[in-house]
Amino acid sequence: MIEISIYLRVLLVLGSISTAAFILKRIRQAKVQIEDCIFWLFFAAFLLLLSIFPEVASWVSRLLEFESPINLVYLLIIFVLLVHQFSMTVRISQMDFKLRTLAQKVALNERDQEEHEAAHTAQPGSAALGKADFSSEEKT
Amino acid sequence: MPKLLIVIPAYNEEGSIERVVDDLIQNYPQYDYVVVNDGSRDRTAAICRSRGYRLIDLPVNLGLAGAFQTGLRYAAEHGYDCAMQLDADGQHLPRYIAPMLEKLEAGADIVIGSRFVTVLKPRTLRMVGSYLISWAIRLTTGQPICDPTSGMRMFNRRLLEEFAQNLNYGPEPDTISYLIKNGAVVKEVQVKMAERTAGESYLNFARSVQYMIKMGLSILLIQWFRKRDTTYPYPERSL
Repeated sequence: MIEISIYLRVLLVLGSISTAAFILKRIRQAKVQIEDCIFWLFFAAFLLLLSIFPEVASWVSRLLEFESPINLVYLLIIFVLLVHQFSMTVRISQMDFKLRTLAQKVALNERDQEEHEAAHTAQPGSAALGKADFSSEEKT
Repeated sequence: MPKLLIVIPAYNEEGSIERVVDDLIQNYPQYDYVVVNDGSRDRTAAICRSRGYRLIDLPVNLGLAGAFQTGLRYAAEHGYDCAMQLDADGQHLPRYIAPMLEKLEAGADIVIGSRFVTVLKPRTLRMVGSYLISWAIRLTTGQPICDPTSGMRMFNRRLLEEFAQNLNYGPEPDTISYLIKNGAVVKEVQVKMAERTAGESYLNFARSVQYMIKMGLSILLIQWFRKRDTTYPYPERSL
């Protein structure tokens, strides 16, 4: 059994409590979507539990024959964050695609509108005006 | 009569959208409607255009919450007194709009078209989620909501503005629970729902479990920390 000093324990508990408080404050200010903060709530709860009952970590690490409990804790946290990071990458890619689609849609709509307006201001029969409009636009 | 907008969010509903909207146009011309196409990959938007329906065509898929919010934004900006959700798969029957509207005019903020006010909720596996959510809402608000997962919901002007512009206002039971706790008046009206005739249900088992976890945490835990922010940028227009 590895002994953890009381100061370190208090520090860990305070750290995890303030992490949880920070997350909850952001939720309160409606800065995060609920589905996104569920992960962080679980994560904060995990940190809190681990800081209050560090014996759990040393027990599991003995069970799985880790060299020291900290190895287990690091491995676990890094793995969880990696998985989360990957899911964020997927989401960013999708958002990227959506953003591109939206920008293209807005630009195309604007072009359509300009052509529409040009066709309305033009005299019937003078189809060249739309094109002239386009070239003058490019110069400016 | 208050001016009502029926919001019909549609994602890949080419098989049923025509029947649903034609029914509205022919039999319920007194209500306005708008179809919000949520970036469907099938012919939903093309059908709406060729039939001349009032359509908002989202260029990307936003999900149900985003699509419905689009409709509410339209309602808010066009001065509607109230708005409701009507599913494009034909499950929601428009003959219950009138009684729901009555309840809304009697002073409710939100009216839910509920399957289980006078009818007993069947004790089947499919209803386990519904029972759990009902229980969670009752626990946190003290109010029984018999059919919390019903999508057939009607909102008054104040609420539709709030829904139109805020984050975390999905048309889901956790929002309902959160609003009840913040003083909104929520009433239920007994309705019958039809079985879907075309398309596929969005909820499979894994999605249901995910949905339940999200709803459970949101109703039981997260809403204690939420703050209701009510500033309305839209000009006041009450019932």
